[in-house]
Amino acid sequence: MKETNGVVLPAMELSDLVGKLIVIEGTDGVGRSTQIALLKEWLEQKGHAVLDTGLSRSGLVGKGIKRAKEGHTLGRITLTLFYGTDFADRLEHEIVPALRAGFVVLTDRYIYSLIARAIVRGLDPLWVRSVYAFALKPDAVFYLRIGVDELIPRVVFSRGFDYWESGMDVYTTEDMYESFRRYQTSLLEQFDKLADEYKFKVIDAAPEPRKIFEKLRAGITRVLEGESHRPALEVAPPSTVSSGPAATSGSVINILPEPSSAAPEKLRETAAGSPGPIEELKL
Amino acid sequence: MKRYGEHRFPGRLFVVEGIDGSGKSTQLMLLHQWLKSEGYGVVFSEWNSSMVVKDTTKRGKKKKLLTPATFCLIHATDFADRMERNIIPLLKAGAIVLCDRYIYTAFARDIARGLDPAWVRELYSFAVKPTGAFYFRVPLEVSITRLHAARSGFKFYEAGLDLGMTEDPDESFRMFQGRILEEYEKIVPEFGLNVIDATLPIETQQEQMRELVISKLERAKQLRVAP
Repeated sequence: MKETNGVVLPAMELSDLVGKLIVIEGTDGVGRSTQIALLKEWLEQKGHAVLDTGLSRSGLVGKGIKRAKEGHTLGRITLTLFYGTDFADRLEHEIVPALRAGFVVLTDRYIYSLIARAIVRGLDPLWVRSVYAFALKPDAVFYLRIGVDELIPRVVFSRGFDYWESGMDVYTTEDMYESFRRYQTSLLEQFDKLADEYKFKVIDAAPEPRKIFEKLRAGITRVLEGESHRPALEVAPPSTVSSGPAATSGSVINILPEPSSAAPEKLRETAAGSPGPIEELKL
Repeated sequence: MKRYGEHRFPGRLFVVEGIDGSGKSTQLMLLHQWLKSEGYGVVFSEWNSSMVVKDTTKRGKKKKLLTPATFCLIHATDFADRMERNIIPLLKAGAIVLCDRYIYTAFARDIARGLDPAWVRELYSFAVKPTGAFYFRVPLEVSITRLHAARSGFKFYEAGLDLGMTEDPDESFRMFQGRILEEYEKIVPEFGLNVIDATLPIETQQEQMRELVISKLERAKQLRVAP
């Protein structure tokens, strides 16, 4: 059953959320949206319904946040709470209904980016965490990790430095490069702490996108198999239950319909049903 | 970040709380007039906020997009904006700041909507502690009679119609305000609100208010902007 980080919102029934909540986290420019597009296509070909969502996309607040950022008018506590409102709206109106309907929800960032940003802006880490105490715990968080030195050329040669991504509201310098470097370095430090605390699966984002995609695919396959075990475990005798998912996974995978014929040639080379060991995901 | 810190700014912060129809706004207006006449630099901090947050709140209410959670969070956002851009700078500048409703309104209302009491209190922990907070205690029937005389009909969220307790706005308002009253009674001892009996004559209530405010203005001569 799904859980929250401690606080359950009114009228939020958690017992029937059968879908999977998968988070792709990572700093700005690391390639999250590219990976999400690839994953969505792959999952749909496998027969999963997918909802992809991301920050500031709520019907209630999304536009308001974008406008506020254009004017640089909001204080840091206000901005944190505005993001919190946007997140709550998407959680209640998009994520939870999709999970209830059995979707795989792929989210481009989650509360962790919001927590990291707020802490870098000097807010109390405990307070920031408590703001998001109503968030659902994801089934998995994949963290695309990159060093600042690898990140900078990607940003410079694609879209250039952005005011907020460079933390221009945080530092007094007018040098966007310096500011970007300091801001992203601080963000990465926070992400590393969050990765330990919330047990992220860390993926090195320096290699070419194809390699990253393979690792994500393997990791997500594991998450989805965890789901497929459940009915089997419920009817199995107690001894099988206690042996844990790892011991039973081999036999359970075989009963799953494998729609690999629907997958394009390039995806078929790594069988979707044979993920590498999870350690491979770590740096 | 300080949590409900006693602020050390030269200004003073006074807030009034109570359900609709308790007469708190009238009392705050009278206090405002008096402080001005005494020569203090006094500012009335309105509930409205930056256009951006206000537009979102308005739209959410108009289109009924708000759940108890987003209702709570968007109001917290709005309050944070007032705190960061209005109340704190004013207190730093040495003003006497008057607020019609403060965080206790949010506590009572959001908890009446079913949110976790400890979570809501933590959410607002960035707020500075008022120099003095007044709670205008009034029986539900009295406030409802006053409201009926003054206006026609209740708004959707104001009446708690979003909670779906009943479809009758008057009945819903009564039930919702009843819950809010219960929450206020818990808040009063917890946060040391000064209770004023809102069924007393207006003049008597104002005298009680002024007495407490005066005691908090000692050593605050620098707050006077006019002789």
